[in-house]
Amino acid sequence: MIELLIKRAAWAVLVLFVVVSSVFFLANYIGDPASAILGAQATPAQREQYRRAHGLDRPLSEQYVKYLIGVAHGDLGKSLKDEQPVVEVLLQRLPRTALLGSMALFFELCIGLGFGIFAAVRRNTWVDTTVMSAAFVGVCLPSFVTGPFFLREIAFRLGWFPVGGYGRDALDHVYHAVLPALTLAIIGAATYARVMRSEMIEMLRADFVRTARAKGATATAVVLRHAARNALLPIVTMLGLSLPLIVTGAIITEKIYDWPGVGRLAIESIDALDLPMILGIVLLASMTVQVGNFLADISVAALDPRIRANAKS
Amino acid sequence: MRSIRRSDARGVALGLCLLCAFCALAACGDPRSGPRWRGAHDDAEQTPRRGGTFVFHHESDVRGFDPAVSFDELSTMGIRLLFDCLLDYDYEMNLVPSLAEALPEISEDGKTFTFRLRHGVRFHNGRELTADDVRWSLERMLNPDLASPGVEYFARLDGMADFATKRTAHVRGIVVVDRYTVRFTLTQPDQTFLNAIAMPFAAPVPRENYGPDDEEVSRHPVGTGPFTLEDWEPGIRVTFRRNPRYWQPGKPYVDQMLFELNLQRETAFMRFIAGDLDHVHRLTPADRMFLAQSRAWAPYREEHIKADLWGLELNTGMEPFSNVHLRRAVAFVVDRERWSLARNRALAPLGQALPIGFAGYDAHLPGSQTRDLARAREEMRLAGHPDGLADPVTLWIGEGATGKMYGELAQANLAEIGIRVELKPVSFPIYLRETGKPRTAQMVFGGWNQDFPDPATFFDPLFHSRSAKDTDSSNRSFYKNPELDALLDQARAERDRTRRTALYREANQIVTRDAPWAFLFSNIMVEAWQPYVRNYRVHPVWSNAFRDVWLDLPRRRIAQRYAPHAGTPAALMPFGGAR
Repeated sequence: MIELLIKRAAWAVLVLFVVVSSVFFLANYIGDPASAILGAQATPAQREQYRRAHGLDRPLSEQYVKYLIGVAHGDLGKSLKDEQPVVEVLLQRLPRTALLGSMALFFELCIGLGFGIFAAVRRNTWVDTTVMSAAFVGVCLPSFVTGPFFLREIAFRLGWFPVGGYGRDALDHVYHAVLPALTLAIIGAATYARVMRSEMIEMLRADFVRTARAKGATATAVVLRHAARNALLPIVTMLGLSLPLIVTGAIITEKIYDWPGVGRLAIESIDALDLPMILGIVLLASMTVQVGNFLADISVAALDPRIRANAKS
Repeated sequence: MRSIRRSDARGVALGLCLLCAFCALAACGDPRSGPRWRGAHDDAEQTPRRGGTFVFHHESDVRGFDPAVSFDELSTMGIRLLFDCLLDYDYEMNLVPSLAEALPEISEDGKTFTFRLRHGVRFHNGRELTADDVRWSLERMLNPDLASPGVEYFARLDGMADFATKRTAHVRGIVVVDRYTVRFTLTQPDQTFLNAIAMPFAAPVPRENYGPDDEEVSRHPVGTGPFTLEDWEPGIRVTFRRNPRYWQPGKPYVDQMLFELNLQRETAFMRFIAGDLDHVHRLTPADRMFLAQSRAWAPYREEHIKADLWGLELNTGMEPFSNVHLRRAVAFVVDRERWSLARNRALAPLGQALPIGFAGYDAHLPGSQTRDLARAREEMRLAGHPDGLADPVTLWIGEGATGKMYGELAQANLAEIGIRVELKPVSFPIYLRETGKPRTAQMVFGGWNQDFPDPATFFDPLFHSRSAKDTDSSNRSFYKNPELDALLDQARAERDRTRRTALYREANQIVTRDAPWAFLFSNIMVEAWQPYVRNYRVHPVWSNAFRDVWLDLPRRRIAQRYAPHAGTPAALMPFGGAR
């Protein structure tokens, strides 16, 4: 286990290094932050002064080494745009994206698993067809279609939810997050529903379910306690893989709803060619991907004794 | 088999029914046709009321609130709430005293400006403002270490060269006469120095809060303005709080201002209609049309022409536009009406070098550039190309849909006189870098905003030969005309306003005739505000000048509106719940 951990950590560091390095050089190739930030009417002298003040006039290699040393010390530099420390801004944005992401995940599971089980139990009836066609449509609906639609119809026209934004206190944040979380959840829920349905159909045919029925367990108990529990295994794997979503979130959805999370920060920073901020976000994103994958592996191993046994032998 | 098929059909039918029901539900609701909340006294009570929170927004992000370095529309919106300058502008673009007691005394030769400060003005930290602060703040901004973009506006101050190379500790041209008097001396007479003094760069700041070690001065601004900075969540929201020590008695009227950042245009407008925002600007074409047609909103919106200048910059330093007749042909063939139509009339067609309404603008300027196909063809003949150009011309445009649309309009217009146009869309930084080099871009679609309300703000950077440089040229048509240069230098020094305007009118005529630009349009801006927002007018210099607004709302509603969200969420009372 420890050996695995160390191996994984070493790989993670290597991946982070490659990602950060390539983004660093790519972003520097794209354009000049001084022009992007100072705008059209800045004079050459102004741009020169800006470059000097922010160390952008140094050779690229020197900037790169300086940045890496900073990262090693946990210092991601300051935003070029508004001089705020990158770590501070990320820490401020992270909980918001996490709130949105976890609510989305919650909706995904509730809707997806619920409908999946329902469809499996009533398979080949009109209920099943309706749910599965809805799921099919859901998988096909990108958030840039559902997002503006919900915003305009449910929030603006009907007035049931606030029109974007973040709100002022805890309850208000949750209230503001409902629509964006739903928008995010639709695709995931549809996927979960399809997977859950096919797993459930498999399980309901299994011997142990028949045994349970024969023992006289109620229909509900058979479905929920025996079949559904065993059908959850692939869902757990999927869950681990979707963990990074909670952190790096939903760039498009956050933008549509003006949700001040990491995703919106990413768009704003790229617009401004705010290199330190872009690098910070990339670092955060690749770190969560690593952690998510790792957690998925571990939890599957923990849940399924067969995999554990295979890993040992 | 049969049963499955039937159930399929039923499922699909049910799904379709649900879909139809939802669409019908969505379609039947009427978008709010008028303002949600009106003022408490609709017959426009004129006595300002204290209190309340005013919420405004912008679609992009604030960079900082250090007046000495921040130089963008957005930061200026905040800086104008936090800082005062010696001079300010009224709604007719006239300079008026602010922290200065009166307009300065100007010496006979036009080089010395003496300002007397108002007594008893206090910084947010409680200390009184003195002449020494004025000098210290300016020198802080001019210090080469700060790298302020404002330095160029003060380049004519006496002793700037020595100060910039750190040979002197002070700028010779800034003298503190006594506690409340400060005197500026220039090397050459320059009337635009007064405009420079009115720019936020020259805003006095207290030295005890702006020490060299205070790294985060742009996050903790201290000035003399009507508001103080309470909180700043980067990229999200800035909170301003009323300054109780403000030197204008009774002002400001509102207790708090919220500046929401990075809102998308569509969402911002919906939030405005829903009553979450008190002011809205920068609308999408659709929202703009809605506002223009809405009778209920008519009293609470204003359309105004922005002081900016857009056109095709024709590179006079390279083929083919070194030929003046070709340039004029372009100027006469572009169909400004059609451009305006293409943008839903959000553009004001323009055929000269100054925006409509600007000092020196002349509605009846002789030789102003208008659409005249016969004349364009005649100019082509004079240029020696009666059948058009053999080679295509490259037009540099910004990336994105709008730039592309302008490019296509230019293509269509110029095709009429046989000039083929190839578009070159590039990202903004590259656009800036490349078009600022001589002999690189034949034709550029570009624009310029005013820095201050004086014709010099357009003529000097765009058409003076001094501004045509080897890199980062702001004169991107590389137009060089000694006659114009002399005229511009003379106008800058001229103290008599009528004569100045006459000089600029002459300059305007030269530039319009020589056509280094085919002038196209100024943007038309639309703003709207809630009915209870009083004392707000569009300011011709400062965008979104909110310092003096007051809210005509019953106190209870003000409190209700901005209390942390409490009680039942509106979702539980869908129809008619108060937000």
